[in-house]
Amino acid sequence: MSTTIAPSINEKSKNIFTKATLQPINTAYSIEIDNVTVSFKTPAGVYTAVKDISLSIKKGEIVSIIGHSGCGKSTLMSTISGMVAPSNGSVTANGIVVTKPGPDRGIVFQNYSLLPWLTVYRNIYEAVDAAIKDKSSAEKKELVENNLKMVKLWEHKDKLPGQLSGGMKQRVAIARAFAINPTILLLDEPFGALDALTKSSMHVELLKLWNLDNRQKTIVMVTHDIEEAIFLSDRVVVMNNGPAATIKEIVDVPLPRPRNKKEIVHDESYMAIHDRLLNLLIDKFSINDIH
Amino acid sequence: MKKIFNIQNALSILYFMGGLALMGGIWELISSLTKNEIPSPKDTWVVFKEVMQNPMQNDPDYKGIGVKLLSSLQRVAIGFGTGSLIAIPIGMLMGSSKIVMNIINPMVQILRPVSPLAWFPLGLAIFQDSPQASIFMIFICSLWPTLINTAFGVSHIPQDHKNVSKAFGFSNWKYITKIVIPYTLPHILTGLRLSIGVAWMVIVAGEMLSGGMGLGYFVWEEGFNGGSIAKIIVAIIIIGIVGLLLDRIFMYLQKKFSFAV
Repeated sequence: MSTTIAPSINEKSKNIFTKATLQPINTAYSIEIDNVTVSFKTPAGVYTAVKDISLSIKKGEIVSIIGHSGCGKSTLMSTISGMVAPSNGSVTANGIVVTKPGPDRGIVFQNYSLLPWLTVYRNIYEAVDAAIKDKSSAEKKELVENNLKMVKLWEHKDKLPGQLSGGMKQRVAIARAFAINPTILLLDEPFGALDALTKSSMHVELLKLWNLDNRQKTIVMVTHDIEEAIFLSDRVVVMNNGPAATIKEIVDVPLPRPRNKKEIVHDESYMAIHDRLLNLLIDKFSINDIH
Repeated sequence: MKKIFNIQNALSILYFMGGLALMGGIWELISSLTKNEIPSPKDTWVVFKEVMQNPMQNDPDYKGIGVKLLSSLQRVAIGFGTGSLIAIPIGMLMGSSKIVMNIINPMVQILRPVSPLAWFPLGLAIFQDSPQASIFMIFICSLWPTLINTAFGVSHIPQDHKNVSKAFGFSNWKYITKIVIPYTLPHILTGLRLSIGVAWMVIVAGEMLSGGMGLGYFVWEEGFNGGSIAKIIVAIIIIGIVGLLLDRIFMYLQKKFSFAV
């Protein structure tokens, strides 16, 4: 008996050991931004975009980063995606320090970034093919098909991006990010170029996709739209103006889900959050009289 | 179904005819002012038909105009083809690396403006053969537009496309085949279109210098030395039309491989 017990204890302790070395203390966090500063060298000298930012995001949480243009919110996001390396501090995603982009993080770019010479189908397929190494091409094709159907674009699969409307392009970009099945989804002003109506339905679409996955994906979104931030997020991170932008305040959005776009605006706590964000973002509410 | 014969097309055909008539009129006027030293369009037409009689005749002592045209085209194809095969990869290297650009660009800037004629004796010295020297001349003169346009295309790949490659972890091969080549293709084709124009322009000069074959030889030998200005004019018209056709082929390819963003 003792011979069987001994190795199992051994194994257990080994597991604990490997876990402890691979993952830092807070395993519950999906993303940890630790004291991150990003500076760029420009002809005019060193430009610091964001400075000393720390932020931890839980698994399955939706967090919006909001701020004025040029406040470094996109830069901060790029440190999570691995497109920009922090000059100081570190970013940890899924317990591993970020050094480059990876298939665990799906990115939806500000301007869709579809390849104009590839069809909708190929745009997603090439991304899946590059990001996922351990699947057969039939499995990859199935992934593409499922994700295109999910965003209701299957019948447009043979079109080129130039033949699509802005909303459709954005859905392709979202399908592409979902197709590689990342645990973290990074959205950089994803709906900025869409008209108000399309935008609204895209919000609902995004939450539907998030629900389909049992709300397991962590979503970080950069936006400058207060309503959008509140409707989608669990927390809203408000940034100071750049250069050397820091976090001004983090506002919790404890509204119950599922949220209803029409009803939520009449909710008192919604209005309180909206007011708070508006106060944080806008200093003056009226133009001073000339007299 | 697309309407081919609409007002717009009819008008442009009308303008084209008008242009031809105007040119013919000026030609006629010059002809009468020079007392037929420059042959009239009508006289030229007679010579044209005569030249066109046996275009593919290929005897040792007489080669028809078609045979000469084909031999010119063949030399252009060889010179232009090898030139492009070298220009495209080097252009891609220049476009993708600042260092390579800085190394090669000064050479390109110095060699590019050199007159085609200056290359001929060098080619003759290298190859000891005048037809090969004229191919060399085409090769070296048709390199530059393709080289420069390819380098420009590759160096201007939008950051968005590069981001896609980075974000989804494209391999180098995928990056080249799915991003670099598709993005650069229209630029390469623009370069090729300019290059084929240069090559076609250079061939006539090359063949005048090398002698023996081709359209350039026809212009010089049968036209000028043979004392037939009409034959020179006929040759000019043929050279012009073939040049236009070559240009149109590359224009078609350019349109075919452009994409809407």
